[in-house]
Amino acid sequence: MTTLLDYAIPGVPFGCVFALMAVGLVLTYKASGVFNLAFGAQAFVSSLAFVSFVADGWPRWLAGLVAIVVLGPALGLVLDRVLFRRVRTASPLVKLVPALGLLIALPQVALIVAGSAPDIAPPSLFFDAQRVYLHVASVPISGLELSVTVATVAVVIALVAVFRFTPIGLEMRAVVESPRMTELAGVNAGLVSAFAWVLSSCLAGLAGVLLAPLYAQLDSQNYTVLLVWGIAAAVVARFASLPVALLGGIGLGIGQQVLAGYLPAGILATGLRPSLPFFVLLAFLPFARQRQVDDPLAGCDPPPTALVGEATGYRSANLLAPSGGDGAGHAVAGWHRALQARADRGAGVPSAGAHGVVDRLASRPTLVVAWAVGGLAVLSALTWVPNVWLVTMTQGIAFAVIFVSLTLLTGMSGQISLCQASFAGLGGFVAGQLADHFGTSVLVGMVLGGAVAAVLGVVVALPTLRLAGLPLALATLAFALLADNILFPNSWVGNGATGVTVPRPQLGPIGFNGSRSFFVLALVVLALVAALVRTVGQGRMGRLLAAMRGSELASVSTGIDVHRLRVVAFALSAGLAGVGGALYGSLERSLSPDAFNYQLSLVFLVVAAIVGLGSVSGAVVAGLVFTALQTEVATFPPRFSGLLPVVFGLATLSYTRHPEGIVDFLGGGVLRALGRRRQGAAGAGGGDGPGAGPGPADRSSARTAARSAVATGEVAVPEGGGRS
Amino acid sequence: MSDLLVARGISKSFGGVVALSELDFEVAAGEAVGIVGPNGAGKTTLFNCLLGVIPPDTGTVLFDGERIDRLPVWRRSRLGIGRTFQRVELFHGMTVADHLLVAAQARATGRPHVRDLLRRGGPGEEEMAAVASMLALLGLEDVADRPVDGLSLGHARLVELGRALMAAPRLLMLDEPSSGLDVRETERLAGILDDVRHRQGTAVVLVEHDLELVEEVVDRLCVLDFGKMIAVGSVDDVMANAEVRRAYLGSSA
Amino acid sequence: MSTASQADPVLVLEGVSASYGPYRALFDVSFSVPAGAVVALVGANGAGKSTVARVASGLVPASAGRVLLRGHDVTRRRAFEIARMGLAHVTEGRSVFGSLTVEENLTLAFRRALGHGGVADALARAYEVFPRLGERRGQLAGTLSGGEQRMLALSRVLVLRQDVLVVDELSLGLAPVVVDEVYEALGTVRSGGTALVLIEQHVNRAFTIADGVVVLHKGRVAYDGDVAGAAARLDELVLGGPPAAAP
Repeated sequence: MTTLLDYAIPGVPFGCVFALMAVGLVLTYKASGVFNLAFGAQAFVSSLAFVSFVADGWPRWLAGLVAIVVLGPALGLVLDRVLFRRVRTASPLVKLVPALGLLIALPQVALIVAGSAPDIAPPSLFFDAQRVYLHVASVPISGLELSVTVATVAVVIALVAVFRFTPIGLEMRAVVESPRMTELAGVNAGLVSAFAWVLSSCLAGLAGVLLAPLYAQLDSQNYTVLLVWGIAAAVVARFASLPVALLGGIGLGIGQQVLAGYLPAGILATGLRPSLPFFVLLAFLPFARQRQVDDPLAGCDPPPTALVGEATGYRSANLLAPSGGDGAGHAVAGWHRALQARADRGAGVPSAGAHGVVDRLASRPTLVVAWAVGGLAVLSALTWVPNVWLVTMTQGIAFAVIFVSLTLLTGMSGQISLCQASFAGLGGFVAGQLADHFGTSVLVGMVLGGAVAAVLGVVVALPTLRLAGLPLALATLAFALLADNILFPNSWVGNGATGVTVPRPQLGPIGFNGSRSFFVLALVVLALVAALVRTVGQGRMGRLLAAMRGSELASVSTGIDVHRLRVVAFALSAGLAGVGGALYGSLERSLSPDAFNYQLSLVFLVVAAIVGLGSVSGAVVAGLVFTALQTEVATFPPRFSGLLPVVFGLATLSYTRHPEGIVDFLGGGVLRALGRRRQGAAGAGGGDGPGAGPGPADRSSARTAARSAVATGEVAVPEGGGRS
Repeated sequence: MSDLLVARGISKSFGGVVALSELDFEVAAGEAVGIVGPNGAGKTTLFNCLLGVIPPDTGTVLFDGERIDRLPVWRRSRLGIGRTFQRVELFHGMTVADHLLVAAQARATGRPHVRDLLRRGGPGEEEMAAVASMLALLGLEDVADRPVDGLSLGHARLVELGRALMAAPRLLMLDEPSSGLDVRETERLAGILDDVRHRQGTAVVLVEHDLELVEEVVDRLCVLDFGKMIAVGSVDDVMANAEVRRAYLGSSA
Repeated sequence: MSTASQADPVLVLEGVSASYGPYRALFDVSFSVPAGAVVALVGANGAGKSTVARVASGLVPASAGRVLLRGHDVTRRRAFEIARMGLAHVTEGRSVFGSLTVEENLTLAFRRALGHGGVADALARAYEVFPRLGERRGQLAGTLSGGEQRMLALSRVLVLRQDVLVVDELSLGLAPVVVDEVYEALGTVRSGGTALVLIEQHVNRAFTIADGVVVLHKGRVAYDGDVAGAAARLDELVLGGPPAAAP
C-alpha cells in the first residue's frame, strides 16, 4: 500500500502538468471553437522567450511577465485576427488544418527568430525547481512540482469563476456557435473572440514558462508530447468541463507513475507507458461526441464562399465526361447542357467542340496544372535530369500515392485521418518483411502490404464508426501513436532501431535497380492508383461518400449504409497508402521504424489540404511539391533548416482563405482570365442562352462570376435561410 | 384496408421529460394521415422513433407485418419508407440533380462497384432518365445544377421531397413540408402529393401546421399533445373536438 | 403616438441594394417605418424579404443606399451596434443558440441590455409569456422542438423594450394556438411604442395588425401603401401576376 502511495503522490504534480495542457485545450475549444493542437507550440514559444530573456540577464520575474502577459496574448491576438476568426464556424477539417500547420511551424519560426535555443538549463519562475520544499506522506515535493500544482489549481478555479460569474464566459460560448447571432444580442463578437484568444494564449504562455524547467534542454517536441497527454485529459472532460480536465490530467499522471512502478521492464514498459493517453483517448472518445451545431446565419455569407468553404473531393456528376477529366469529375456542362447534348447527339448535331474544350479546361485548373507539371516532369526525368533529382521526383511520386489515398478518405468522404503515415509505414514494413523472410517479390509485397494496411484501416474504422470530425481525427491520431510505440518497434514489423530493408523489385528479366526504370515503375503505380480513385470519385461510391459527408442523417434516411461505406473508404484509403509506403520503402531500399511516424501523418494532412484535397491531381501536385521543397531546404544553412515547416505553416494562412487548395485557386486565376476573354468575345456577339438564366450553373463558374463581379440581372436570389 | 405501418406502445423520454407515452399509431396502405399538435408535443420525436433515428424506450414497430424496430435507419428506408425533415437536411455542397442521383443509386443492387469501373463512374441512362423526370415533376429543372446550399427554403424542401420520392416509397413521412413555403409553392406541394398518392398508391404521414394543406391532403387526422394521441378521426370530427380546440387550434378554428 | 413621431420614421431604407456574391438580392429598395407602426413585409419566396431584414440589422452590408435608424445613418454600422441602438431582429429558421440552455439563451440577450440585476426579472417575464420555456429552462435549446425554439427566439425580444422589432417568418412552425399567443404578445409590444416589421407567411393574419404593407417582388418594392390597397391586389403583387390559370 505504501508503495502504491509512493508511486501515486508524485503522479499528482505530473498530472497537473498534463492538466495545465488539458485546461488550455478545453478553454480554447469552449471559447473559440478551435481544438488548438498548436497550444503546445504556443507554450514552447513563450518558454523559449522566457529562457532567452533570462539568458540575456533579465530578472526572472520580468522575463516571465513579458513571456506570459505580453508575448502570449500578442501571439493570440494575431492568431485570432489572421487565422482562427475565419474558421470559427467552419467544418472540423478547416478548423483542424490551421492548428496543425501552426503546430509544425510555430516552434521553427520562434527558433529562427531567436537564432537557437539558449544553452542554459531552463530556469524556474517561482521557487527553486529542484529544492524540496515539503514532504507529503514522506514523498518529497520539489519547487517545480509545487509551483505547477498550485498554479494549475489556481488557474482552474479562476477560469471556472470567469465562466460562471461573468457575462464573457457565456458570450464566448455563444460566439463559437454563431458570431452573427451573438451580435444581434448586442454583443461585440470580434471583441469576445479576441478576448478568448488572449486568455487562452496567456494560459499557453504560463504553461510554457512553468513547465520549462521540467526538461534539461528546451525542445518543442517535449511540449508536443505533453500536449498528447493533455488531449487525453481534455477528451475525458468531453472538451467541456475545466474541473474534469484537471481531474483527468491528475488521473493520467498517477496512472503513468503507477504503471511505471509496477510494470516489468521491457517492451511493455517502454511501449505501454507512453501509450496510456491513447488507450484513454479510445476509451473516452465515444462519450465526447460533439453535437455539430451549424451557424444558422451562415447563409448571410455570399454563397460561393460558402460553397468553396471546404475542400470537397467530390464534384457534381459529370454527365458529359466522355473521357479524360479530373480525378473527381466535374459538372462542366451541367444538367441542361448534358440533356441538350444528348438530344443533339440523337439528332446528329456535332457536340460542342473547341468552345467546350476551353470551357472545360477553365473549370478544371487543378487538372491542367497537374498535367502540365506532370508531363514536364516525366519528359525531363527521362531525358536530362540528374540522378539525384530523379530520385527526388520518384519520392514525390511515392508520396503522391499516399496523398491520393488522403484525397479518397478526407477529400471525398470527409473523414479526417491523422494516421495515414502509419498505414503507409505498415505497407512498407510488410513488403520488406515478406521479401526478407519469404523472398516474396516486392511487387507482390506491395500489393500484400496494401492489403495488410487495408486490414488495419478496417481495424481503425470499426471502433470509430460513430465518431466524426474532431473526435475521429483524435482517434486516428491515437492509432498513429499506438503504431509508433507498440506496433512498429516490434522485430516482426519495423524491426526496432535497425529498420527493415526493402529490396527493389524484379519483374521477370526486368530489374528496377536503376533510377530511371524505378521512376517509370513508380509512375505506373501512381497512374493506376490515381485512375482507381478518380473512378471511385466520379462513380456511385464517390457520390454516396459526398452525400455522407454532406449529411449523415440524410444519407441513412435515403437508404445509404454509411457504416459500411466508411469501412470501405477507410480500407481502400489505407490500402492505397500502404502501397505508397511500400513504393517509398523500395525506392529507399530500407525503412526505419520512425520513417512514417505520427508527425508525418500530421504533415501529410496539412500539405494535402493546403495544396488541394479536392482532386486527385491536387494530391499529385502535393506529393511532388512536398518532396521538392524538402530536398531543396535540406541544402540551406542550419539556421534555416526549419524553413520547410515554416513554409507549410504559413501556407495555412492561404488555406483559411482558399480551402479548395492552392493549386485550384492559383491555376484557376490564370485559366479564368482566359475564359473571361472568351466570354467577353461571346458576349459581344449577343450573348448565349436565355438572359435570365438560373444563375451560375456549377461551382467554378459561380466562382468566376463572383470574381468578375458580374451581377447580371435578376437571378433567383438565395435567401440562404434554407438550412435552419 | 391492410395496415402498412403499425406502432404499439411507443414511449420515449429525454432526461425525465416525457416526449412520447405509450403511443399507438398505424397507417394503412395508401392512406394519408395527418398529425397535428402543439409545439413540443412529440411529433418529430414520433417520426424519429418510427424511423430509428432515435431508439424508443419501449414499443414495437411493424412495417408490412415485419418487425422493424431493431433495424438501422438505412434498412427501414430501403424497405420503402421515405422521409423529409423539419429542419432541411441536404447534402451540403452537392447540386440538386445530384441529390436525386444519390437517391437513385443508394439502393443499387447487383455489383455496383464493377459497373462503376466499367462505366468509368458515370451514371446510367435509366438513372439519368429517372432524375430528369423527377426534376420535371417537382419543377426543379431550372435549379438542377445549383448547389443546394444557396437554395431558397421552398426549393430545398422540394429537393428533400424529390430525394425521398426517387425510391418510389410505399410510405412517405413528411415533417412540416410546407413550413417556409409561400402560397404558390404550397399549392404545388399539394399537387405533387396528390399526384404521387394516386399514381403510386403511396401512403403519406403529414406533420403540418398549415391546416388548409392538411385538410386538402389527409384522410384521417391525429392530434398529439404531451406525447399522447388526444384525438383521432376524420378532419371535421377532430377539428370540432373541444380538447383539440383548446390545446391546439385556438381562435383559428 | 404623437403626430410628430409619426412623421419621424424610426427606420428608413433609402435606395438599398444588396448582393450575396454574384447573386443580387435587392435593387434600390426604399421604404420607411413610422415610430410605433406595424409594417408587413410580404412577397414570394426569394423576393428578398429576409435580405431586407438582414440589411436593416447589419448582418448583410448594403452595396448601395442608406439605412437610417432613429435618424442616424447605420449603413456601415456593425450588427451589435445596431442592436444596441434599439433594433431587434429575429431571424428566420433556427434563431437560438443550440449549445446553450434556454436560460442561457435568454440571459445572453438580457445581460447586455439590463445589467446583471435586471436579468432575473426579465427571465420571469419571458417565462410568463411562454410558460413552456420555464418548464424547460435547463434544457439545451438545440433539443427543443422547432416550435419551442421559435418561442424562445421571440421571447428574447418580446421582453426587452425596443424601438424596432424585425421578425422574419413570424409564425413559421408554430401551432395555431401559439400563433395567437404571439400576436397577442406583439400587440402588447406595439402598445409599448415599438415599431414592428413583420415578415409573415400568413399574409392575411399579418394584415390584421399591420398599419402599412410593403410588397417585394424579385428584389424590388412592388407596393408600398396601406393594407386595404395591398389586400385588394395581393395575388398580383405577391406572385408577380395573376395566379397561373388553374385547369
